[in-house]
Amino acid sequence: MEELVIRKVKIPDLIQELIKTYKVFLPTKTNGDYFHFNELQTVNEELLSFWDYRNTKISPKEIFFPQTEILFSFAEKMESLGSNRQLLTIILGIRPCDARAISFLDKVFAEPLRNGEPQTPSYIDPYYLERRQKSTIVSLACSNPQITCFCTSLNGKPDGEEGSDIILYDLGEEFLVKVISKTGEKLIDSFAKWFKKATKSHIAKKNKFIDFSLKRIHSTIDCHNIKEKLDESFNATFWGKIHLKCLGCGICTYLCPTCYCFDITDEVRNKQGKRMRCWDSCMFSLFTLHASGHNPRLTYKERMRQRIMHKFNYCPVNFNGIFCVGCGRCIRNCPVNLDLREIIKDIR
Amino acid sequence: MEVERQIRETVKKLFDESKIDVFIGYSEGTLPLKSTTCFITESANIEKLVWNSYCLNNLAVYLPRFFVYDPRKKDATLPRVGIVAKGCDGRSLVGLIKEHQIPRENLYIIGISCDGMLDVTKIKNAGIEIIESKEKQDKIIVIDENRKAMQFEKKDLLADVCLSCQYSTPTVYDTLIGEETQNTKHKIQNIPVAEFEKKSVQERWEYFKEQISKCIRCYACRQACPNCYCKVCFAEQTKPRWIGITNNISDLMFYQIGRVFHQAGRCIDCGACVRACPMNIDLRIFTSKTVKDIKEFFEYEAGVSLEEAPPLAIFKQEDPEEFITEP
Repeated sequence: MEELVIRKVKIPDLIQELIKTYKVFLPTKTNGDYFHFNELQTVNEELLSFWDYRNTKISPKEIFFPQTEILFSFAEKMESLGSNRQLLTIILGIRPCDARAISFLDKVFAEPLRNGEPQTPSYIDPYYLERRQKSTIVSLACSNPQITCFCTSLNGKPDGEEGSDIILYDLGEEFLVKVISKTGEKLIDSFAKWFKKATKSHIAKKNKFIDFSLKRIHSTIDCHNIKEKLDESFNATFWGKIHLKCLGCGICTYLCPTCYCFDITDEVRNKQGKRMRCWDSCMFSLFTLHASGHNPRLTYKERMRQRIMHKFNYCPVNFNGIFCVGCGRCIRNCPVNLDLREIIKDIR
Repeated sequence: MEVERQIRETVKKLFDESKIDVFIGYSEGTLPLKSTTCFITESANIEKLVWNSYCLNNLAVYLPRFFVYDPRKKDATLPRVGIVAKGCDGRSLVGLIKEHQIPRENLYIIGISCDGMLDVTKIKNAGIEIIESKEKQDKIIVIDENRKAMQFEKKDLLADVCLSCQYSTPTVYDTLIGEETQNTKHKIQNIPVAEFEKKSVQERWEYFKEQISKCIRCYACRQACPNCYCKVCFAEQTKPRWIGITNNISDLMFYQIGRVFHQAGRCIDCGACVRACPMNIDLRIFTSKTVKDIKEFFEYEAGVSLEEAPPLAIFKQEDPEEFITEP
């Protein structure tokens, strides 16, 4: 499908139409002075300059993999799965690194989706899958990468298409719209009259945009053969040094778009209860605590090693990809300025 | 610069004379306007140590883990740890020593009289990234990603906790760099709490709810706080499960209220929790309220004296009782 354009001034009206049939998630500024993906309740001029943001504080993975999820509830002699049906959803303005991270989470929770259908019936998370199948991801190419962005070191790009159904390029007065998947095509087709064909000058502007963006990414890490290097590094001495300043909080894991560990707990009161799935972090002390009291990862050394190995060695083996997209959230938000880029350098 | 030189010199001497096994200090961060922690184990690495206006973090948080009893270790000698301490850090050290988490005799404290550290979120530049920063006497010069330079007075960027600091020199130290000052100029003590107290109960509850609903249970506040050293936090216990692990508002409230109250009589208002919080929750309003209450009820300030008993550990005849008799 060829590339289209839409003028920015028409966006509020288009979204007004969209919210009649879809749940629309947009990055909005919260009272904590950061951006967050929230469901749009009413069309509001202020909310709709979503293209002006850099990136959200927490990654949008929580739209598909919420921090707290009720799996099912039960009472004496009754169990109900509850309704898992989701409404059609559009996630608008997600960054290509975060969209790519969603495609990684697909490998974990929903096996590779091809044309929206999973390949094998095993290990599918029905909650995640339902949300995923009902969503259209419209990403926004990055015009202004941050100093902590290093997507290009991990096979990503400021206008990467992995994980997106449609990608938008901010050309100033207009958006250039590129359809990537069949799901994206379906959405555009049902609103076809809002778009015009992109002209040669639009395409030229887009190419200039991409050049400009790529030049702005200065931060890099060397991931060449990192999996192989880590294969032989389990007992290396550097693990004993890099963990020292870690506080053991969960900021890096909770903000990370590709981290997916969770804990399952039952909350029971009298004769009824529910089973919940909540986020968990490998950096927490109880994460690997056994019922016997033994903890194989007793100190931050073992936990930091596990985190790095998981992202750069175990996931490449299990899911064929490094589970880092270079979004930089862990670096920006770590209270002690523990920098993943420094760690990778030390490993080298 | 002078302070930095003195720190490095002192640390070098400590290693040359084999007085310590490890030194905890600050070093250059990987992002502008930040410092990070460094652990020095030999005098060859002293050049890593820095002293600047970004050395906000409370380093005392790293100490308890050096002195944890590990039954697997055949050699039970405890390490000797050196640390650099500002006024606030020094008070944390006093607190930890009093609670028997760290032995005074295994510590070498380099005290520094602190002028205040910067809160870089006060540089309002509307989402424009800062790529470089320079300190020039009492000015900070930053360069943003569009290569535009901006200049700020350090005093305009001082952290809120520093503005109300009452103890800029640590009360316990082995060596002091700088003059001993208990400077109280430009000190606003607890003004935000005084304002907050004037609000109605309903308004305060709404504010609390609004702030706490941003919490994601990352536990950064707890992990950054030197006073939170429990092996298993009440929020994570499973036998019994005191509070849920979800991010529902009631679980969030229970966790935050529990943590703040566990700090009563121990919190020194260093601001580590607020700085660590990624969601910019106004935690200080709640912790500083407990600090204020403890001062009013029991005339006690945490972390000042090694000898004074903690208020919640003893009972004096003159302790106020109105909150029991006239709630």
